[in-house]
Amino acid sequence: MTVSSSSPATPALHMAGVRKVYRVGDEEVVALDHADLTVATDEIVALVGPSGSGKTTLCSIAGGILSATAGSVVVGGEEISDYSDRQLTTFRQNQVGFVFQTVNLVPFLTARENLLVVDEMGRREGKPARARADRLLDELGLADRSQNLPGQLSGGQKQRVAIGRALMNEPGLVLFDEPTSALDTELGGHVMELIRSEMKARGTSAIVVTHDERITEYCDRTVRITDGVLEA
Amino acid sequence: MRIALKELVRRPGRFVTATVILTLIAVLLMFLGGLLDGLIRNSTGAVEAQDADALVFSDTSQASFLRSRIEPETRTTIETELGVETGGLGVVLLGARVPGNGPRDLANVAVWGYELAPSGVPAPPAPGEAWADEVLEADGVAVGDELLVGPARIPITVVGWVENTSYNGQAGLWTDVDTWRTVLTANRPDAALDPGVFQSLVIRRGDRDLGGVSVPDAVESLFDGEVVALTVREAIEEIPGVTEQRGTFNQILGVTVVIALVVIALFFALLTVERTALYGVLKAIGARSRTIFAGLVAQAVVVTLAASAVAGIAVVVLDLVIPPGSIPLSISATRIVTSVVLLLVAAVIGCAFSLRRVLKVDPASALGSSQ
Amino acid sequence: MGVAQTGGVMFLALKEMRRAKGRFGLLIAAIGMLVFLILFQQSLQNGLLTSFVGAIRNQSAPVLVYSVDGQRVIQGSIITPDLEQQVRADAAVGAVGRIGQGTFTVTAAGKAADATVLGYEDRALGAPTALTEGRYPEVAGEAVGSDADADDGFGVGDTVLVQPGGLAITIVGLARDVQLNAGPTLFVPYETYVSAVRSVNPDAGQPLPNVLAVQPAADLSADDAVASINSRSEDLDALTSGDAADETPGVAQVRQSFTIIFLLYGLVVPCVTGLFFLIITFQKSGALTLLRAIGAPAERLVGSLLFQAVLIVVAGYAIGLALYTPVSQQRLGGIPLRFETGAVLFWAVALLVLGVGSSLIAARRVLAIDPIEATRGGANR
Repeated sequence: MTVSSSSPATPALHMAGVRKVYRVGDEEVVALDHADLTVATDEIVALVGPSGSGKTTLCSIAGGILSATAGSVVVGGEEISDYSDRQLTTFRQNQVGFVFQTVNLVPFLTARENLLVVDEMGRREGKPARARADRLLDELGLADRSQNLPGQLSGGQKQRVAIGRALMNEPGLVLFDEPTSALDTELGGHVMELIRSEMKARGTSAIVVTHDERITEYCDRTVRITDGVLEA
Repeated sequence: MRIALKELVRRPGRFVTATVILTLIAVLLMFLGGLLDGLIRNSTGAVEAQDADALVFSDTSQASFLRSRIEPETRTTIETELGVETGGLGVVLLGARVPGNGPRDLANVAVWGYELAPSGVPAPPAPGEAWADEVLEADGVAVGDELLVGPARIPITVVGWVENTSYNGQAGLWTDVDTWRTVLTANRPDAALDPGVFQSLVIRRGDRDLGGVSVPDAVESLFDGEVVALTVREAIEEIPGVTEQRGTFNQILGVTVVIALVVIALFFALLTVERTALYGVLKAIGARSRTIFAGLVAQAVVVTLAASAVAGIAVVVLDLVIPPGSIPLSISATRIVTSVVLLLVAAVIGCAFSLRRVLKVDPASALGSSQ
Repeated sequence: MGVAQTGGVMFLALKEMRRAKGRFGLLIAAIGMLVFLILFQQSLQNGLLTSFVGAIRNQSAPVLVYSVDGQRVIQGSIITPDLEQQVRADAAVGAVGRIGQGTFTVTAAGKAADATVLGYEDRALGAPTALTEGRYPEVAGEAVGSDADADDGFGVGDTVLVQPGGLAITIVGLARDVQLNAGPTLFVPYETYVSAVRSVNPDAGQPLPNVLAVQPAADLSADDAVASINSRSEDLDALTSGDAADETPGVAQVRQSFTIIFLLYGLVVPCVTGLFFLIITFQKSGALTLLRAIGAPAERLVGSLLFQAVLIVVAGYAIGLALYTPVSQQRLGGIPLRFETGAVLFWAVALLVLGVGSSLIAARRVLAIDPIEATRGGANR
């Protein structure tokens, strides 16, 4: 069990005045308008809104996948607003974890290899990384599935592998994009419990993007967003 | 990159198509190259083997042995003025009757008379004997056989083998100059040459300093344009057809390599299209475009190597299966390696076609992808 | 399919191609280059064969007699008086003419060049069968030349000098496809040939003829004469002129080599096309499933695919042809190339059939799509 590297005083995420504007032909589309959001260490925040509300945009900016048009984004004490693509890539390798909604896993790699993908692309720790992967798989109840390909895993098992990969580099913040939309209610509940226990055990913060109200039970706080604007 | 190689191993099916086509193209490259090498070897082997600083021909002969004549006085002049070693050289193209073969089943030979031995050929044998090019084994010739050469049926006994000494498609029979002259006069009276007259001279540098001038230039400067002195390389280029064959084949090979490049570009572009979603995820979790592209190149290289290996084996088998004397194929390691290298270069450049698409993949596409 | 449906098919097909210009462009480029190489090598093969045995095939004698020692190469064959006597005495033989051949250095248009000189005794026994310009020789020192070399100082009215003797030969007529060694070829009266040999090599005696040209006796065929002559002596090698051309050393080799080459190149085309369509069909199977689910008939989707295949092969062929046409007018060394209309037509049909045929594999896959898959998320791939 490891504790997040940032001190309790530093929030996992601090977004101030973040705007994201797209040019579509002659028009300007404001996907996100003056968003302010702080996620404390060890906090799980549910980000709820209908389709097109901007929740995915916010998540992308928080995770360093997208650059904001204006505003400041500080993740685990690191200001990433003006990062170059190269710097963002390195940042994503080390400081943030992602669990996507659909395509998550590399289809021709085993569960274990999927966890090790990030290490291969970045730090190349080798043995310590492999040990960590095995430990994670064990914790997630997938020890006997480590050699299976995604095609041989159930929906819930694949989700757990994705969670494992997101945690591999011990990030301070994990972003979940609709983690239960492909699962039935009971399974969805199990997955959310797992997410909660894993985050809390590590003191890792999380943002869970969802349009499903039931998810909010498992989160510490709920933030709502509509048309690019966060509700106060 | 290891991910890319794992994909190759775990999902070989999707790479099979490109590999099959590349194998065909590789076979084409190696086969065409082997054909070129074989054709040239058949025409020029005997000249290529000459260990000479210069070969001398008469000026109007266009460096053709059959049309050239060098008088003894010319030879003496060269020797005394330049202090070089000279050897007479002449050839006559005839059919030879082989013991045990049918009366119309002649072997095509080029009977050479020589004094200074070419590389790989021993010193001139005793009169009536000859060193034979090993391609004659395909005609049923064995060491010890007495061949009857030409319509005059001059007997020549084979006393040993040499290799790569064909000329004009005819296998070399290397004899001493007296035997050669006998064969020439008896069979080609219209081309007969008096004793001491040769078709060409082999010149080897002596101890005398030529003042920085090349041997061919030194020889030519002794005469007023009556003789032409060439290096071995130049003499080979003068053999009819050589330059044209090489030029034409190389152009065809060049276009074929470009086709390989386009095929790789095409199939890897198709593969890349299929994998954009995966690339989006990888980029989102921190993969650099460079890493992804390197993986692509690695796959192209492996596919090319696999295709080359299969093609190499196929071509070697083809070489063994083709009866000697039908298609002049000469498969050498150099040719195979050259073909592989060209294909690898084509593979890497072909991948560049997909570079833009890899660069364009937006990591943000991984989020909200169900939209 | 009706007109409207055909329009729908074309619409789909073209839309997709426009969207994926790069991929379809690469495919068309590959096919274009392959077509170019195939057609070019077709010209090369025919040019090679014609420039080495054209003289034999297109001369007037139906039967040619070599000595066996000649191995069916004119220059290597020598007819001794004894052999000549045997041929003349044969009952199946009508008229006999001598043919002598030599390769000489000549000065033409001020430059030195290799030229083949063929001496014949009778116009019906060894001269070119037809002229494209001028007339046949009437006196010594005149020649019919190969028209492919006319522009190099071997045209009608030009005089060439045989070196080193300086013997002059004037060209009075031209014939087509009569080269012997991929270079200028001159048909002269036999005595001119003898003069040429003597002018170059003073040591030569009376040169013996290389080959005898034979007309069969009345009411007999060329094959009859051939069989009869060959049975007379094992030192004689009689052939019809067509066989003589085909069995000249090297001809079979050239044909065999090119057959393998055409086979390989020809195979690449359907492989590339077929596999391309298979892959893109697989890649768009989601979209195809959707289209089928919303009511697009299977024939229309298959029609679209086949239309693309035809378009690609035609476009590729046009490019290859455009590249080939200028090249086909060139000379390669001494070998004149020609636009081979027969080959162009043959390969157009062959490649269209192969290319479209190979895309049928993909078509089968399109037909196998079950629209119900759309409801199970199969359209979302």
